[in-house]
Amino acid sequence: MSDAAFTAFAGWLSESGEGSRPDWLESQRLLARERLADLGVPDRKTEAWRYTSLKGLMEQGFGRTGETMAALQPDDLEEVLVPGLDAQRILLVNGRYLPELSGQGDLPAGVRIGGLRELLASEPDRLREHLNAVAETDAQPLFAALNTAGLDDGLVLWVGRGVVLERPIELVHLSVGLDEPRVAQPRHLVVLEDGAQATLIERYVSLGDSIYCTNTVLELSLGRDALLRHDRIQMESANAFHISGLYLTQGADSRYLGVNIGLGASWSRTDLNCRFQGEHAECDLQGLYVAGDGQLMDYHLDVQHTQPNCNSREIFKGILHGHGRAVFDGRVFVAREAQKTDAAMSNRNLLLSESAEVDTKPQLEINADDVKCSHGTTVGQIEPEMLFYLRSRGIGASLARRMLCLGFAEEIIQRLSAEALRDHVSERVGRRLESAPMN
Amino acid sequence: MLSVKGLTANVGDKEILKGLDLEIAPGEVHAIMGPNGAGKSTLSHVLSGREGYEVTGGSATFEGRDLLELEPEERAQLGLFLAFQYPVELPGVNNTYFLKAALNSIRKARGEEELDAVSFLRLIKEKLKILHLDDSLLKRAVNAGFSGGEKKRNEIFQMALLEPKLAILDETDSGLDIDALRVVANGVNALRSPERSMIVVTHYQRLLDYIQPDYVHVLAKGRIIRSGGKELALELEEKGYGWIDAEGQAA
Repeated sequence: MSDAAFTAFAGWLSESGEGSRPDWLESQRLLARERLADLGVPDRKTEAWRYTSLKGLMEQGFGRTGETMAALQPDDLEEVLVPGLDAQRILLVNGRYLPELSGQGDLPAGVRIGGLRELLASEPDRLREHLNAVAETDAQPLFAALNTAGLDDGLVLWVGRGVVLERPIELVHLSVGLDEPRVAQPRHLVVLEDGAQATLIERYVSLGDSIYCTNTVLELSLGRDALLRHDRIQMESANAFHISGLYLTQGADSRYLGVNIGLGASWSRTDLNCRFQGEHAECDLQGLYVAGDGQLMDYHLDVQHTQPNCNSREIFKGILHGHGRAVFDGRVFVAREAQKTDAAMSNRNLLLSESAEVDTKPQLEINADDVKCSHGTTVGQIEPEMLFYLRSRGIGASLARRMLCLGFAEEIIQRLSAEALRDHVSERVGRRLESAPMN
Repeated sequence: MLSVKGLTANVGDKEILKGLDLEIAPGEVHAIMGPNGAGKSTLSHVLSGREGYEVTGGSATFEGRDLLELEPEERAQLGLFLAFQYPVELPGVNNTYFLKAALNSIRKARGEEELDAVSFLRLIKEKLKILHLDDSLLKRAVNAGFSGGEKKRNEIFQMALLEPKLAILDETDSGLDIDALRVVANGVNALRSPERSMIVVTHYQRLLDYIQPDYVHVLAKGRIIRSGGKELALELEEKGYGWIDAEGQAA
């Protein structure tokens, strides 16, 4: 793909000059712009984009989303909320924080929750240390650099030393269709200081089924002995493009428990990057993707065991139906000094039709000699034995298939942090399978 | 109720059932005994509609319906139930959800109203009590990680809930110790009724100490070669299957 195509695609970037930012941030944005020019657009020869074409995305004429959606009423939110979920909600609409419709709650001392733009104005020094530090500017791949180049607003969650935040924080990113397709680039920063604990629920939803693009970057920094439970649920519009980059660093003894659910968007790409910075840390990455007609879901995992004695688990499951496509590219790197690493990666896929497709590529790169590492991948159909068992109990074939698919998905769904969320996702997956033709 | 006439069936190119006849009236308990490879499991599977078997001749009618042309779920909806020799584990499928889906599918097919959550739970509790089971198995995934005994008890529990007209117990005794066997047999006995028939398929006489059959059939080389009362089972126990083999050859 030509760089001219990218320049055309990213034309809206030049419009994003408004607002005042600290100098250090301006130079980061500039640096990212220069990096974009250097990087160019990857084609299918680039390993990271081998199975996924950028053509459809680049050919869209996007504008940039900047204006706040002040006209939005609380009632408009009803259809995208999770019934019965008790959490403190932070609402972003088309990339911009909307305090009016975000929940207010009493926060323990040492906790900051709010919009990035807002906190950049009031406490820039607090953010400076971490912003573009977890995802280092000069190493960012194309879409992360693009996000940095237009860095403007998003969520900040900061939990001070030893603070245990009991109530989950729910980040809802809502896309509302505009007259022309737009790009929203929310940028989130989550910092848990030493010994802090929190639960973050991150959801991408839309009103209507318009075409838009979300290109989000999340930087997560976990201090020593910190614990973060992190549920990520992508239910973008059926016509959306969704790009998400997560950059996580973990201090010694910290734990990260992440669950990624992918149901929406026509084209989506998720990059999960984890790096250990201390010993005895644990990283648990789980995922479920359900892709049908007109959908591509691409997951790239890069887990860097650069410290001894750390554990990581990567468990991703996929259900592909109709003409659905998925890519799983999981890489676990174990450095020479990372002895006693314990890493297990698995990717299991259920293909419900002849025309569904998955490209799966788990990779272990091990440079230490005293480690326990494994990986496994399966691509299969529903077991005839299981199907017969259900049918022998009077359950019709199509319901039986649906029950088995949902059963396959439940292992991941049950990892979500709240019951209301588990019910919500189960219900949505069930609804999807109901409309999916199975043969 | 069930009438099987001259049934022949293949697995691949191999003929397993070679002209099997069986007549079962309401309320009767029939034991089918025989050595390994006689065709006992094939008979259970062909009657319940499992894939992988080709019926090449003969007929099987259940309450006047041609069983062999029906889908497995249709047979279940008519009142046929197979207690599996090896119950299948269904990870992620909650047992309560599964039982409710099964019961309501059957009710729906019969034109009865589906049970709501409350009535369903009440019914479940009642059935658990009859079988002296505790409700911990309801919260788990179907058979997933169950012990051999738990799996077999879950089969009998499903049978109690679905109230079939004809239950086929396929080697329900296999893999059970004597205590588990007694629990399962007591469950089965609690479900005996003048309307409900059963086919108890077993290799050993042991199970028939606990479940007393009205008739005993000896299946060998794909055919029923002898039928009699429960004393036939004792005879088999005493003599083993050696003489059957000889007789089967002669026949």
